[in-house]
Amino acid sequence: MSVLKRLTEPKSLDSMSPLGAVLVYGGLILWSMVVLFPLYWIAITSLKLPIHVSAGPVYLPFVDFLPDLHAWRYIFVDLGNDTLRPYLNSIVVALVSTALAMLIGSMAAYSLSRLEFAPRLASILLFLLLGAVMIVAVAGFGVPWWIAAVVALALFLLLARAAGRTMRASLGNGDILFWIISQRILPPVVAALPIYVMFQTVGLLDTRTALIATYTTVNLPIVVWLMYDFFVTIPKDLEESASLDGASRFAIFFGIVLPLARPGLVATGLLVLILAWNEYLLALFLSSANAQTMPVLVAAQNATRGPQWWYMSVLILLMILPVIFLTLLLQRFIAKGMLLGAVKG
Amino acid sequence: MTIILDQTSKSFGSVEVLRALSLEVKPGEFLVLLGASGSGKTTALRMIAGLESVTSGRILIGSRDVTHVLPKNRDVAMVFQSYALYPHKTVFENIAYPLTVRKRPKAEIEKSVRDVAQQVQLDHLLERYPRQLSGGQRQRVALARAIVRRPSAFLMDEPLSNLDAKLRGHMRAELKHMQHELGITTIYVTHDQIEAMTLAHRVAILERGVLQQLDTPANIYNRPANLFVAGFIGSPPMNVLEGSLADGRFDCSAGSFGTASRASGRAVVAGLRPEDGRLAPPGQGQLAGEIYASELIGDHTLVTCRCGGATVTVKADKDFAGSIGQPIGIGFEERAVHLFDKASGERLQ
Repeated sequence: MSVLKRLTEPKSLDSMSPLGAVLVYGGLILWSMVVLFPLYWIAITSLKLPIHVSAGPVYLPFVDFLPDLHAWRYIFVDLGNDTLRPYLNSIVVALVSTALAMLIGSMAAYSLSRLEFAPRLASILLFLLLGAVMIVAVAGFGVPWWIAAVVALALFLLLARAAGRTMRASLGNGDILFWIISQRILPPVVAALPIYVMFQTVGLLDTRTALIATYTTVNLPIVVWLMYDFFVTIPKDLEESASLDGASRFAIFFGIVLPLARPGLVATGLLVLILAWNEYLLALFLSSANAQTMPVLVAAQNATRGPQWWYMSVLILLMILPVIFLTLLLQRFIAKGMLLGAVKG
Repeated sequence: MTIILDQTSKSFGSVEVLRALSLEVKPGEFLVLLGASGSGKTTALRMIAGLESVTSGRILIGSRDVTHVLPKNRDVAMVFQSYALYPHKTVFENIAYPLTVRKRPKAEIEKSVRDVAQQVQLDHLLERYPRQLSGGQRQRVALARAIVRRPSAFLMDEPLSNLDAKLRGHMRAELKHMQHELGITTIYVTHDQIEAMTLAHRVAILERGVLQQLDTPANIYNRPANLFVAGFIGSPPMNVLEGSLADGRFDCSAGSFGTASRASGRAVVAGLRPEDGRLAPPGQGQLAGEIYASELIGDHTLVTCRCGGATVTVKADKDFAGSIGQPIGIGFEERAVHLFDKASGERLQ
């Protein structure tokens, strides 16, 4: 009894019981191993000769096997520019698409959090109907697409008011928000082929532009959805005060709202950046030689000779480094308490 | 500058929060909008600021119709109940904000901010952030930010309600002094009648979106326009007795007395302020009752009496000693009595 009691009861208010400490630290150590072991495995695999990989697992460098830099030499010297180009592509595509998605997405999220939208259901249905008619006219009856587009747009502008009068139902901000996030419900592989055809038609296949446009679009819903939650928590008093102080909506957004949403911006930005950095499927479809990104290059190491684990490991380490560096750099911004002292005592 | 509300109404959907409010604030005047929560006072202020649209009617600042003008172009400054300080800016940057968004020259901003900061005793705190300040200091920053660009009017939405009682009294005096020094037209919203009475040149009392009375604090206290104002102003509130008026004599179950009114044969409500009544031995005075409770406040005692069906509170001497249930009389000067029509609640005479 007394042994059990001594094990399960904390010695003081701010400490854990001995048993609790064992369980908590045991769990933490176990989970750290789950998280860190793959990294360790990649690091040592990049130093192994093919024989060390195929002849069964070896764990400790200098004990189980002698480390060798042959994979590093291959990636940096033999491939050289063929490694550098995808690396640069990845950096440019990820950074630019993240910046664009953050800018457009946070503006959309802000307006959804502050303005009341009430699009008429009738207008939306009319728009869809005219779109369908346009497709039928172009595909079925050979009408030039630009004539069909102009006619459909004119009809929409003419009829939208009348349609709105006959059918009063309208949607709200919640519906718009759901519609935006619903675009992520569709599996990307379904859209990959149409996207491929689209970029082929406009002649942008295998360019960074195509990848940037695609990633920006794909990541926008995530930015809108996450940033909306951050903007809602910012007290409206601050913006009203700024508007009376003489600031325009843009000045308020960039000068007051964005700085206060910085923790959210950084967290969302990191998430979107990592999604763009690691994206594989769309990159595989849209790029070949020039715009190839790192994930595609990694996968390419599984070629005719079978998976080249050692080359892959080097490339994966190269891919992980900037992300770790960036996370360490930015994590101090993901601190709470930014809004402390804004309102009330 | 003059501020005029002309038949201004506001509805949220089918709920009417402000009904045809008309009032004129004179240049340099300190006007207080007083009312309970839900009276529409804050909505009225926000409409003057341009933060709420106007459903019908007009708002004029100076001679300019600003009904549809954006807040940033109205040249009014507002102090919020929450202070609304920008948490990512220092005190200096907060105060300077109205000038920096207007792109004034750096030297001018520097000078204006330092001058104003000195005026509200913040000059030693300019590099701090709002989270490092006390409630009273934050309040001063909010004031300084409003003053710094010399607006044509101040709008204040319960600026003192987040301060503790002692600081509130202190800031009230400072606010009044400052407004007098600057001479800028001020509209101040509060639910606190002490603030209203002490600060205002004139008080506008609102209830359920309707203006009840607009007058000087003294007139509002001495000649309340209707029963609502009579009951709202004064602490403890005015005693009310329901009865009838015949040939200038008021008659109720607790007694009867003569009044200044000539009216006759109608149901009326008589009002008597606690400080206008005095306690008398049983059988004397105009009203008869018994002591219900007696509370020593410090410099006086509040004695609550049951008189017929009504409760009458009288402010008595601090040495008053009476026991609960003891019969007592209540006397008063008959011209101290306020008479109101029972049906409409309006003041008679």
